[in-house]
Amino acid sequence: MVTVEDGRIVAADNACTLGEQKFLGEPRLKGPIQREGKGWKDITYDEAILRTVEMLRDAERPLLFGWSGTHVEAQCIGVHMAEVLRGVIDNTSSVCHGPSILAIQEVGHPGCTLGQVKNRADLVVYWGCNPIEAHPRHLSRYTRYAEGFFLPNDYLDRTVIVADIRKTETGNIADEFVQVTPGGDYAVLSALRAIVRGKRDIIPRSVAGVPREQLFRIADRCLNAKFIAFYFGLGLTMSRGKYKNVRNAIELVSELNRHTKATISAMRGHYNVYGSNEVNTWMTGYPFGIDFARGIAFYNPGETTAIDVLARRECDACLVVASDPAAHFPRACVEHLADIPTVVIDPYPNATTAFADIQIPVAVTGIDAAGTAYRMDGVPIRMRRVLKTDYPSDEEILGRMYAMLQEDHPP
Amino acid sequence: MSESIIWYLREFLRTEWIRKFLLAKTDPLVTPPYFKDYPTLTGKECTACYQCMMICPAPGAIAVLRHDDGWRPEIYPGHCIRCGLCVEACPEDVLQSGRVLEAQHRDRTGFRATFHLSIDREICMRCGNCCISCPVGREGEPDGAVLKIEKGGVQILNSDLCTGCKTCEVNCPNRGIRVARVVEGVQEAAA
Repeated sequence: MVTVEDGRIVAADNACTLGEQKFLGEPRLKGPIQREGKGWKDITYDEAILRTVEMLRDAERPLLFGWSGTHVEAQCIGVHMAEVLRGVIDNTSSVCHGPSILAIQEVGHPGCTLGQVKNRADLVVYWGCNPIEAHPRHLSRYTRYAEGFFLPNDYLDRTVIVADIRKTETGNIADEFVQVTPGGDYAVLSALRAIVRGKRDIIPRSVAGVPREQLFRIADRCLNAKFIAFYFGLGLTMSRGKYKNVRNAIELVSELNRHTKATISAMRGHYNVYGSNEVNTWMTGYPFGIDFARGIAFYNPGETTAIDVLARRECDACLVVASDPAAHFPRACVEHLADIPTVVIDPYPNATTAFADIQIPVAVTGIDAAGTAYRMDGVPIRMRRVLKTDYPSDEEILGRMYAMLQEDHPP
Repeated sequence: MSESIIWYLREFLRTEWIRKFLLAKTDPLVTPPYFKDYPTLTGKECTACYQCMMICPAPGAIAVLRHDDGWRPEIYPGHCIRCGLCVEACPEDVLQSGRVLEAQHRDRTGFRATFHLSIDREICMRCGNCCISCPVGREGEPDGAVLKIEKGGVQILNSDLCTGCKTCEVNCPNRGIRVARVVEGVQEAAA
C-alpha cells in the first residue's frame, strides 16, 4: 500500500528497504538537461529529443544500452530503433546474468514460477546470492517463510541451504551453510552431481573447501526432499567458470529430477531485466547483445555486448536507458563513454550522468507511468501508476525518437 | 615356586569363583521416578499459545506445529536439554516429563511473563521475515498481527498480543529484532 500526500508518495507499506527507496525516490530532475562547458543548462523535451535523434543519426555505430529498468513497451521501441539505426542494442544482463542465459541456451531451463515454489518447495538452495541484501522479501514472500498450500508450517517445514564464499546474512538463517573456496563452485557442483549419480566413493576428502561429509549430507537432503527450488546469483555467474558454473548447476538439477522434483532459477536484478531479455528474444531471436550493423540481427556475446563494443572504442554514440553503466562498467569502457556523445534517459541522476551530454528525466514505471514488467520467474505483470505527474514515460520519449528516425528510413 | 603356582591355580580355578566371574549380575537398571525425559504429549488439546516456545532456553528445541487435526508441540531431541520448563509453562498441560506436572499441580506453581520487543532500525532490511514468521494473528483478522512493515520500517502494532515465542528473533538474519522476556515464578496460595 502506498500513501500519497500532496502529489508525493510519503509511505510504502510492506516494502523492503530497496522498494521503499524506489517509491519515495531520490530528488528527481525537473526537466531535461544538457552539458554546457563545466555546467548544465535546462532544455525542453522537444530540444532534448531532437538532439538525441541528431546524435543517433550522425553516429555510424550507436550503442543502445540499459533497458532493464523500464517497461516492455519502451523496450520494444528500443529494438525497432536499433534496427533502423543499424546499431547495437544490449541490456544489463550482459554484465549480470548473461552467463546464465548462455548456460540455458546450452542445456535448457528447468524452472517454475515463484507460486509453485511458495506452495511446494520444501528445500530451497541459495547459491552465490544473498537475498536478504539484494532481494529482501524473497524469503518472506516465496520461500522460507511463506505459508504454502502443502507446507502449513512454513519455515519449520522447509529447509534452506546457502552456499557462498563467506557467511552472509542469508547464511545466518540457513539450516546448512556451505562455504566454498572462491572459484570452487564448479568443483562442488560436480561433486554433488557425482554423489547424486551414486558415485560417493570417488569424492575426495574435501572439495573446494567443502568437507566430503557435508557434501553427502547436502546430497541426502536433496534426495530426500519432495520439491527443490535452486536459486543462484552473481556469485555463480561472475566467478571463475562463469556460464559453465550455471550449466553445472542446471545439470545438477537435471540429475536431481531423476529422483525428485527440482527447479532452478536466477535471482535477477533490475525489476524488468527478464522483460528485456524476453522482448529482445521475441523480436530478434537473441536475448542481449544484438548487433544490427549487417541489417539483420547478429548475436555474439564477447563481440556484440556493450562492454566489448565500448572497450574496443567502436561505438561513436551511446543512448543509455534506465540503467547506470558508469557505476558498473570497467574504467576503459567508462572513459570511452565520456569521449563519445552520450544521452541518458533516466528519472534520477546517477553515476552515468557525470559522463553524459544530455539527460532526459522520465516517469517511473509503477509510480507515475503504467507498463508491463516481467518478474524474475518470467511472469509478466501489469504495473499501474499511483501518481499523475507531468513527466513523459520512456515509451513516449522513445516513441517520438523512433518516429523521427523512421522519417529517415520510410518503410 | 611350584607351590605358589599350584596355590594360584587352586585359588583361581575354584568352581564358585569361575561361576561368579562369568555369571556376575548387577542390580537391574531402574529409571528413578524423578527422572525427566524428553517431554511427551499428554493427549490434551494444544491451543497454540506458544508459552512452551517462550520459556524454552534451548534454541530450536520446541516448535508448535499445525496438523490436520489441530496444533501440537514438537520436541527436537537433538536440541532439547530436558529442563522441563515447557511442561511447567504450558497452561493446558499438553506436555509431561518426569514428575514436573505432578509437582506443579501439588505446589500450584506457574510462570508470569512480560515481553518487550525492540527493533534496531539501522540494521533492519525490512525483509519481513519477522512479520511473516510471527505465529500470532495468522488465521484471524489482519489487524491481529503483532508486527507489520509500514511507515518505513517494522512497526509493533499489538505488543500486547506478543507471546514471547522468539520466532521473530530466531528468524531475523541480522539480529535486528530482539525479544526481552521477564519471567517470574509464581505460586498460588493454598486453598
